[in-house]
This record gives sequence, structure tokens and C-alpha cells, in this order.
Amino acid sequence: MSAPETPETTTQHEQTTHFGFKQVESSQKVNMVKEVFQSVAAKYDIMNDLMSLGVHRLWKRYTIDCSGVRAGHKVLDLAGGTGDLTAKFSRIVGESGQVVLADINDAMLKVGRDKLRDKGIVGNVEYVQANAEALPFPDNSFDIITIAFGLRNVTDKDKALASMYRVLKPGGRLLVLEFSKPSNEMLNKAYDMYSFHLLPKIGQLVANDAASYQYLAESIRMHPEQEVLKAMMETAGFEQTTFKNLTGGIVALHRGFKF
Amino acid sequence: MPFAQLVTSGIELAMNQLLKLDDDSQQGLKKLSGKSLQVSIKELPWPLLFTFSEQIDVRTVITSDQDLEPTSLSVDCLIELNLETLPKLRDSSQLTQLIQQKQLNLIGDIYVAQTFSALLKDLDIDWEEQLSGYTGDVVAHQTFSSMRALFDTAKTQIEQGAIELGERLTQSDSIAVKPSEMFEFSRGVSELRGATERLSARVALIEQKKKVDTGSNN
Repeated sequence: MSAPETPETTTQHEQTTHFGFKQVESSQKVNMVKEVFQSVAAKYDIMNDLMSLGVHRLWKRYTIDCSGVRAGHKVLDLAGGTGDLTAKFSRIVGESGQVVLADINDAMLKVGRDKLRDKGIVGNVEYVQANAEALPFPDNSFDIITIAFGLRNVTDKDKALASMYRVLKPGGRLLVLEFSKPSNEMLNKAYDMYSFHLLPKIGQLVANDAASYQYLAESIRMHPEQEVLKAMMETAGFEQTTFKNLTGGIVALHRGFKF
Repeated sequence: MPFAQLVTSGIELAMNQLLKLDDDSQQGLKKLSGKSLQVSIKELPWPLLFTFSEQIDVRTVITSDQDLEPTSLSVDCLIELNLETLPKLRDSSQLTQLIQQKQLNLIGDIYVAQTFSALLKDLDIDWEEQLSGYTGDVVAHQTFSSMRALFDTAKTQIEQGAIELGERLTQSDSIAVKPSEMFEFSRGVSELRGATERLSARVALIEQKKKVDTGSNN
């Protein structure tokens, strides 16, 4: 299934944007995305495991391996959801470091906070409800920023990338892990079949919510593909920007530095 | 699928599960808390990075990715070795010797490597106790008793087999002809040959005598 021919962020009129394949008022998208994640928050982890057959954990591990994180670092896990990355970052940065788990959605943040506290991860983790487009942190605050499976839900991605650039320390790096465009046409077709036919059914069965997973499939198709996102990062000011396709390009990890 | 991450994930899971089974391991882990150790095994394409907290986190260091620039990390201790040397690390007292023999290259704090080595070596897991959590005490005890009995029987059988084999090998040695026996046998054969020749001469003599007696009677 192909995505409609619409710009990936706000239109030239700055009035409308996409929500999956639909065009909606820009001001509405935040609340619509919020409703999606409020609905799926409780089953978020189990759905991730089911949808990806657990491979999302390996993609996240790869992200951490590319982050260069070490003891004492200050890390921002943006759109951190249920805290998969935060948990590992917290142990690696240790007592001298700090991890900020930020998410625009309070339901996701609450699930993440409860999960991490149950695991005994306390002390160096801070929870902040924040909009990626206007991060509530001083300039040059973080050594590393990660945003895993979050950027495609942001209304104004350029604004969000600029905001991330602002709060990143010179020498720091941004890692964007996000669904992308498979490089092989056969895989692309199989992936379309899976996303638009099977995924909503799994969503209905497990989370009793087919619509949210229909949105997930649509939002993936509307997200800028690898080269476009790389160019967007460069426009925001990031240097040495590169990307790596994972699992045939179903997911891509983009990395950029601030100097 | 990121294969390296699959491997590190497996190693991490196995190590932490084993540590959980030994209550005393937490004390050893505490000594390493906040430290990091990089292990570069020559046969592996990527180094392994161990970070210690209340558990062990295992990562790879991305060094040879075509698309992403190498990531450099500072660690408390870095060791380079080959697979053959890896089992020897379990004995922390051997570390210095391995370094001297150039089987192991160590940069940084040797204490981290020694403590990690000791942590693995000192793991003491009561498997019967672990099984009883799932099956109950009786089944666990019987299972392990049976396994121990089976093991003891097998051990005894192997030991006995080895003794019997040894004995047979020793016996086959005694069956082989010694020079003294060969000499004795040759002497016997010579005596027998002499006796046979004497007998043959006597028989010939008797026959001749018989012929003479028969001629004179005629």
C-alpha cells in the first residue's frame, strides 16, 4: 500500500499535517497521537515484542552500542516510552551520570516510571513530560540524545531536531532509531502486507485496538525515508550524519554530531 | 538482524541468570560496581564490553561498521587474548603469568580483570535447591540422588573398565615369549630330536637283528 502524496510535516500553509494517511489540523495532531499512546500504553511492551518478534530489543541494543555512552554521561532518552533504553543507560552511566526519560505522553511516562522502579532503577533517572519541539532544558545539557520510534509521531520534525541540537553539548551525538523504508522491493511488499493486514489484527486481538496499529502502519509510511531524514538532520546543524539500515531497512539508525 | 547484538544479548542473559542463582555473587559484583571491562577476543569480529552495576551489561563496540564511524570508549580495563586462553582466565592467579607469556595483553586496572575472573570462578550454584523451587523438595532430591547414583555407577564402571583393560594389557605381555623360554623350548626340541634319533637307531638295530635271526632259522 502506498502513502498519499503529502508532505511529511506541516504543509506550506502551516495549518495541516498528516496523522497516518489523514490530513488533520496541526494543532490536533498532538492530542490524536496522545490518544493513540494512552490507548496502547498498558500493552506497549508486549505488542512491541509480538510485532517485531523481539527484534526491537536488538535494534535498541544496536543504538546503545553506537551511542558511545560511558560512566558520567548525561543522556536524554526522548520519547522514551516504557524506558527500554533508559534502563540500560542508567546502569552504564552510573551514579556520576544521569538519564532523563522524556515523553510527551503522561500515560507512557507513568508506565515507564513504574516499570523502571519495579526493576530497582532509581537514583540517576529523572522523568520529564516534554514536547520534543520545545525541550525544557538549557542549551548544551546532554552528551547523548536518543529518540527511538518517536520522531515519526512528532508534528514538526524540523523544529524537534533543532530543539535537540540546542540541548546537545558540543561533541555530543543524536541517535534516531526509527522505522524506515526497506531497501529491497520484495521485502517492501511483504512488509506492506504485514503492516496493513496483519498488524491491525494483532492490535485488535492483544490491545483491543486495531485503529492505533493502523495508525502505526500509516505513520511509518509517512515518515521521511533514510536520505531525507539525514538531510533534515544536516539542516538542523548536525555534522558527520550517517545512517545504518537494520533488518533490510525496516528500521534505520541515524547518527549525527554537534560540534 | 543485528547478529552481534543477538550474541551479546545471549551472553548477558546467561551471565545474569547464573549470578542470580548464587546469593554470594552479589558481593563480588559490588566490588566491580561502576567499572567497565573490554575483552577483545582475536577470533571474534567485535570486542565485548562488560559494564558492572547490580547486574552485568554486555555490549559490543562498533568498530568496523561501513556506514557508522567507529566509536571509541574509555574503559577501566582492556584485555586482548585468543579463545584458547579464555578458559585460563577463570584462575585469576594465572593472569600475571599469562601476561608474561604474552598470551594476554592487559591495559588498565588489573584488579577489574582479577575480580571478574574470581566472580566467575567462585560461582557456587545449588542446582538441587533451584530445581526444588519448581518441582518440590522430594522430586528434586530424588532426581539429584538418582543422577548422583547414575554418575557414581558410571564412574565406577569406567574405573573398573580401566583396571580390567590394564590387567589384560599386562597379561598379554606375559603371554609373549621371553628369550629364556625360547631357549628352554629349543633345548627341549634338541633333546626330543636326540631321543627320536636314538629310538630310530634302536628300531633299525632291532629290525636288522630280526632279519639275521629269520635267515639263520631258514
